[in-house]
Amino acid sequence: MFVHHHSIPSPPTRVVVIGAGGFVGGAIVKQLTGEGIPILSLTRKEVDLLETDASKKLKSFLRPTDSVVLVSALAPAKTVTMLMQNLQMAEAVCHVLCSTEIHHLLYISSDAVYADDANPVRENSPVAPTTLHGMMHAARELMLKSSTQAPVACLRPTLIYGAQDPHSGYGPNRFRREAAKGGPVHIFGDGEEQRDHVMVNDVAKLVSLALSYRSEGALNAVTGVSTAFRIIAEMVARQFGVEVKSQPRPGPRPHLLHRFFDITNTLKAFPTFHFTPIKQGLDLVKQGMT
Amino acid sequence: MKPVIGYAGMTHLGINSAAAAAAYGFQTVCFDPDEDLIDRLKQGKIPVIEPGLNEIIGSQASRLTFSSHHEALHACQVIYIAADVATDEQGRSDLTQIQGLITRVVPNLSSSAILVVLCQVPPGFTRNLVVSKDRLFYQVETLIFGQAVERAMSPERFIVGCEVPERELPASYKTFLDAFSCPVLPMKYESAELAKISINCCLVGMISVANTLAELCERIGADWREIVPALRLDKRIGPHAYLSPGLGIAGGNLERDLTTVCNLAEEYGTDAEVVRSWMHNSRYRKDWVLRMFHREVLPRDTCSEIAILGLAYKENTHSTKNSPSLALIAHLKDWALRVYDPVVDGSEVDHPKCTRADSPLEAVRDADVVILMTPWPEFKDVKPADLLQVMRGRTVIDPFQILPGRECESLGFQYISLGQRQYRRDQ
Repeated sequence: MFVHHHSIPSPPTRVVVIGAGGFVGGAIVKQLTGEGIPILSLTRKEVDLLETDASKKLKSFLRPTDSVVLVSALAPAKTVTMLMQNLQMAEAVCHVLCSTEIHHLLYISSDAVYADDANPVRENSPVAPTTLHGMMHAARELMLKSSTQAPVACLRPTLIYGAQDPHSGYGPNRFRREAAKGGPVHIFGDGEEQRDHVMVNDVAKLVSLALSYRSEGALNAVTGVSTAFRIIAEMVARQFGVEVKSQPRPGPRPHLLHRFFDITNTLKAFPTFHFTPIKQGLDLVKQGMT
Repeated sequence: MKPVIGYAGMTHLGINSAAAAAAYGFQTVCFDPDEDLIDRLKQGKIPVIEPGLNEIIGSQASRLTFSSHHEALHACQVIYIAADVATDEQGRSDLTQIQGLITRVVPNLSSSAILVVLCQVPPGFTRNLVVSKDRLFYQVETLIFGQAVERAMSPERFIVGCEVPERELPASYKTFLDAFSCPVLPMKYESAELAKISINCCLVGMISVANTLAELCERIGADWREIVPALRLDKRIGPHAYLSPGLGIAGGNLERDLTTVCNLAEEYGTDAEVVRSWMHNSRYRKDWVLRMFHREVLPRDTCSEIAILGLAYKENTHSTKNSPSLALIAHLKDWALRVYDPVVDGSEVDHPKCTRADSPLEAVRDADVVILMTPWPEFKDVKPADLLQVMRGRTVIDPFQILPGRECESLGFQYISLGQRQYRRDQ
């Protein structure tokens, strides 16, 4: 869970967002900008973490008073090559952190670091990834923590949805795009698998809170409410006036039918923060599209 | 002739045990090196809250001698080391106090006196004491906070750790134990020390079952209260089984024994994963009210003031060790609180916006939510109709079902308790 180094929230002097051009990075920049926090947005254009001079370039941007948010990743890491590229990117950041003082580091990780059967998932559930993507985040967390003296916060979001999502994976993002094209919204089988879906704006708000409290440790960015894909598909279909259609699963029914999270640590870390319920979140996303 | 019984260490365990000895007609010497404590006891100021304790001590004054001089124990034939052993936040025992007490007491033993360790000690402790083993015993205590007098007066059995279990107990000790008319079970020191821990593990196991299944009831629409009577009629479970779901184990003693088992398992390479699971479940249950508050209350109601009834870790005790109430309060710093407890004065409460009330109704006045964190009997006198009149909000979180839930719901309250599905006002 998170331990706060500030008992009273204090806005960071400046936040350097590495990976500001992505879906999550962009939402973080928008959130912090809205709060009037000075930001340095770094995209691949300013620093390509896979280039040989990445460390040198990144170092030139950093000040000792900076809070650094690392959100840059080639995700999802589905192949060994992608895994190694992601580790190479983290290595470049670690080289800088080893020789550069910063105030705080926040890493956007993933709930993929946990074992598939860790139900309900908590921050103290064993880190036992079963995918290359999960292993990538678990390794990066450890690499970063071992490279800096600054407090390190690892935020582990589950399935993120939002208007700008680039992946269109099975879930709210794909459903919305299918519906926007006139439908139908396709679910696999009965769509009974329950998953936790978190709106990207809520992830960005948690980042802001963690920065202002200078939090250290790990926290899951999850709502604590798991919803069946079919229910979400029906919500989206109603928004657009289209139908939901079942289609055969591309593979066998998943071994882990549902995934639940216990968010007690979030309630303790940020008592006045509340996640956007899925229905409300889907409405907000639709409004963002139009 | 009845032996004189001595108790060294006037904490919860020592005071209640000494009171019971006196009540059975034994002259009883109560020793503690703390002069102030002994002075208070002489004046009848009892530092612990237990039903019936003050009455016994008052009625048995002629048999009870309080002294801060260890020489007073020289007159005793059976001397109990009876100080409670303090634990830290991890449930680890601090044995230095009772070791110091034993060091003081042993030189004052008369030549025929028996020394009995009654404290909560880990296996191996008694055998390692440098005291002649034919006069050294360990006796399991099964004190329950809030029922300590009843337990001390009517024990189910005495479990006695000995060097040689087959050997008859010394006459003075046997005379004393026989007065309680219950079975006496002699066994090896280590067996008796582990028996104490085994009892507590069984209790925690049952509590963990109740907690686990009560949570399931909350989700699937079953009612744990309906299931419990069926379990109690099963001979393998029994009428007195610990089947009430709760807010995590507290008080210190059960936690201590679980920690001891885990430490021993680590030391000897045995599997204690299930015990770790119980500890984990206990921590999880401690936050049940916090989760309900965030999940069931905040999304629907604006909440600015919360009334909390009960600070003690359970009813009929002043103890707040690992109290779920204090744990909850620590995470409600963004809300104004008004708290009431019949015994605990609230000085332990660390909260920026907390005021103390002098009665339950004063605490709930203008509150948006009332949370009953300790099942004190007097809270049963709070009428839902009175809550309706004085509260601003309409939410009652009553984990232990102290108030009549259906009546609360019929008056329009959202009533939230352990082991049953939460029905919202909008359902």
